[in-house]
Amino acid sequence: MPASLIPAVDPAALPGPPWLFHVLWVITFLIHLVFVNMVMGGSLLAALVGRNRPGAREIQTFFVEANSWAISFAITFGIAPLLFMQVLFGRFFYTATILLAWWWLGMLVILTLGYYLNYIAKFRLKAGKGARAVLVVEALCFLAIAGIQVAINVLHLQPGRWESVAQQTWAALLDPTFAPRYLHFVLAAVAMAGVTLAFVATRRASTTGDREACLGMARFGLRAAFLSTALNLADGFWLLLALPREVLRAFMRGGAATMIPLSAGILVGVLLLVVLSRITDPLTQAKEVRRAAEALGATVVLMVLTRHELRDIYLAPWRTSEQVTVATQWGPLALFLVMFVLCVGLTVYAIVRAVKDRPGPGEAAA
Amino acid sequence: MDYPIWDLSMGGGVLIALVAITHVWVSHFAVGGGLAIAIVETLGVRRNDPALRSLARRSSQMLILVSTVFGAISGVGIWVTIGLVQPAATSSLIHNFVWGWAAEWAFFILEVATALLYYATWDKVRPRTHLLIIWLYFFAAYMSLVIIQGIISFMLTPGKWLETGSFWDAIFNPTYFPGLVMRTGICVLLAGAYMMFAALREPGGAARASLVRLMAGFQVAGGLVAYGGYRWWENALPESVRLIFLGGSPLVPALGATRGLVLWSLAAFMLLAVFAWVLPRAQRWPVALIALLAAFSFFGAEERVREGVRKPFVIRDFMFSNGILVSEIKDLNQRGILSKATWAARESDGTPVSMGRAVYRAQCQACHTVDGYLSMRQLVAAPDADTLGLILEVLQGQGEGYTSGAHTEKGHIATQKLDYPAMPPLVGTAEEIAALKAWLLSLQSPAKEVSHAR
Repeated sequence: MPASLIPAVDPAALPGPPWLFHVLWVITFLIHLVFVNMVMGGSLLAALVGRNRPGAREIQTFFVEANSWAISFAITFGIAPLLFMQVLFGRFFYTATILLAWWWLGMLVILTLGYYLNYIAKFRLKAGKGARAVLVVEALCFLAIAGIQVAINVLHLQPGRWESVAQQTWAALLDPTFAPRYLHFVLAAVAMAGVTLAFVATRRASTTGDREACLGMARFGLRAAFLSTALNLADGFWLLLALPREVLRAFMRGGAATMIPLSAGILVGVLLLVVLSRITDPLTQAKEVRRAAEALGATVVLMVLTRHELRDIYLAPWRTSEQVTVATQWGPLALFLVMFVLCVGLTVYAIVRAVKDRPGPGEAAA
Repeated sequence: MDYPIWDLSMGGGVLIALVAITHVWVSHFAVGGGLAIAIVETLGVRRNDPALRSLARRSSQMLILVSTVFGAISGVGIWVTIGLVQPAATSSLIHNFVWGWAAEWAFFILEVATALLYYATWDKVRPRTHLLIIWLYFFAAYMSLVIIQGIISFMLTPGKWLETGSFWDAIFNPTYFPGLVMRTGICVLLAGAYMMFAALREPGGAARASLVRLMAGFQVAGGLVAYGGYRWWENALPESVRLIFLGGSPLVPALGATRGLVLWSLAAFMLLAVFAWVLPRAQRWPVALIALLAAFSFFGAEERVREGVRKPFVIRDFMFSNGILVSEIKDLNQRGILSKATWAARESDGTPVSMGRAVYRAQCQACHTVDGYLSMRQLVAAPDADTLGLILEVLQGQGEGYTSGAHTEKGHIATQKLDYPAMPPLVGTAEEIAALKAWLLSLQSPAKEVSHAR
């Protein structure tokens, strides 16, 4: 592919130091991914839970309730990494999205459908009706969105494949890393949703919940998390070996910066499996369930760092002549930081107050 | 322009308009609805009026289902669409306004959290906490409007930014405050229009009439503020922009007609609002629906005018609608458009017709299509080769008008003095212009073009 097909660097100066955009990008993407995992894994588990399993209805209800929040936050927290990424790598990203324009635009239609289906499932379950079919279609919507996201992300990293995708759109799926990468995200999402379900069930059992249903929820969640994590470890190696040779070589030669997050991520993943395998009675092993959640959280952090480094390695050969100027907009940057602290503070305050300020007996509620 | 080109038979501009207009119909309700619900519930708590509280509750469900789902996704949709159709302009905006957008995003977090919290805490928290949540929601929603208005208005009137490059000059541009006043009014009138349906679901006759009158009050107040803001906005525009759509013979007659639709739709809406306010017991859902459609028509037409009068720019006096910068006209005339538009150039096999098609895709396809919207085939059906050559010559000559300073008035490029005031100048080498002419002529004889396509 002629390097000239890569659009020129935007002539405007970067409005802040590149490292700051990288930091903000990684942090906001991490938060985005937590919600995305909850939505993706939760909708799959809600669709797949067996009808006769103890706590099946509670499992579905938990996920549709959680997803009515998680989808909104996944969208909201998806805005920031998209924004910061475009500042740094817009010319690669825009090109990939244009080459897959209908997929990229269609993703929003599918997202709208998936979100409304979640509300339909929520209202149906609240009314005591079944919601299996709705949940299955909802899960398919989110699986399709994950596929589109992975395809575009893989494509923007590889200008060498743009020409072939421009000729034939479906060539976007022919990259050897597409399938393992897609599985890697979906399986991680299932693990996170499963552990979250178990964590909530153990807490609920210790307060007011129906013990049998809580046990069913926890067991289902933990089993799903164990299976998906075991598969994901294997899939992770598949993904590693599917990387282009020069990328893999550069990654392995990256020293501590690349190898520590990856090695630590794999180790924590194995540790997660060990912790999950030791939980036989989740309701009495709440501490172990919490440890599983912590190990999972650590794995996600480490894998997000690895993913970010991999992107730099992929794009490095195409950016050798890239020259950007920086003219930091200090005032607007300060405005953002102040507004961010203010809004997060007010959000936390509103949530805490809503949880605590409950009316007493005989007192009017809103 | 040096990006791949997305082929859309409807034209990219039309798609942007479709996504953007449906988004603003919802997003402005998300702001105004927050205010209206906050006022309605505050009144309901103070007066201990169950009808008002029921109205707030019903409206909050509408707010959740319409705003947090469709509003949020269609908002991302605008961004996705402009990135596909106008990647260079999107990149330019992001480089200038990333911190503004990031600040807006911070308000989104508060907005989404409080919207979901408000809906989830009916019957669960004390009234004062519930009121706090909805007022926080409105604060966040309005602040997002305060920020985004700076970026939207910048594209039409970048003002001093063209000289200073300052973020603040860009945000507080000449049409910032007029547009903000207009949008504030629109938020309020849309809240009244949407929530009228929730008011009509009140079972008691007297209570329903009272709620209808309250909603009509929002409609009238919002309509008056929106009208004032709109006229202020028109007066704040540079002369070159005003001439595009105002006066007895506007430069773009279609936009002049759309401006008529703006005013007539608002008049119809106000008439129905006053009717509901004077005769609340006679209000019925079909009338409320017509009022809502009139509000949509007013706002949709206004957005169309605002977008349309940027012609021929996407960021006025800085970047043309095809992504070419005013500052690079001379350079591209020397180097050739295809030296920059590499994705279009790769489709050329070196023959004049294929090179001409590449030049068309690089420069014209941002607004035109071959056979669909603003069809090139129809536009070139009549002129003969000499006339077409003359038109292209004039279009290229217009570049001089943008760069020489001869057509500058009060810091703005006086596009009205150009022969084609709504068209970007044609740029490229003599060979490229000749190739474009050859391709345009081939459209007059389909067989030639078809054989080339094969």
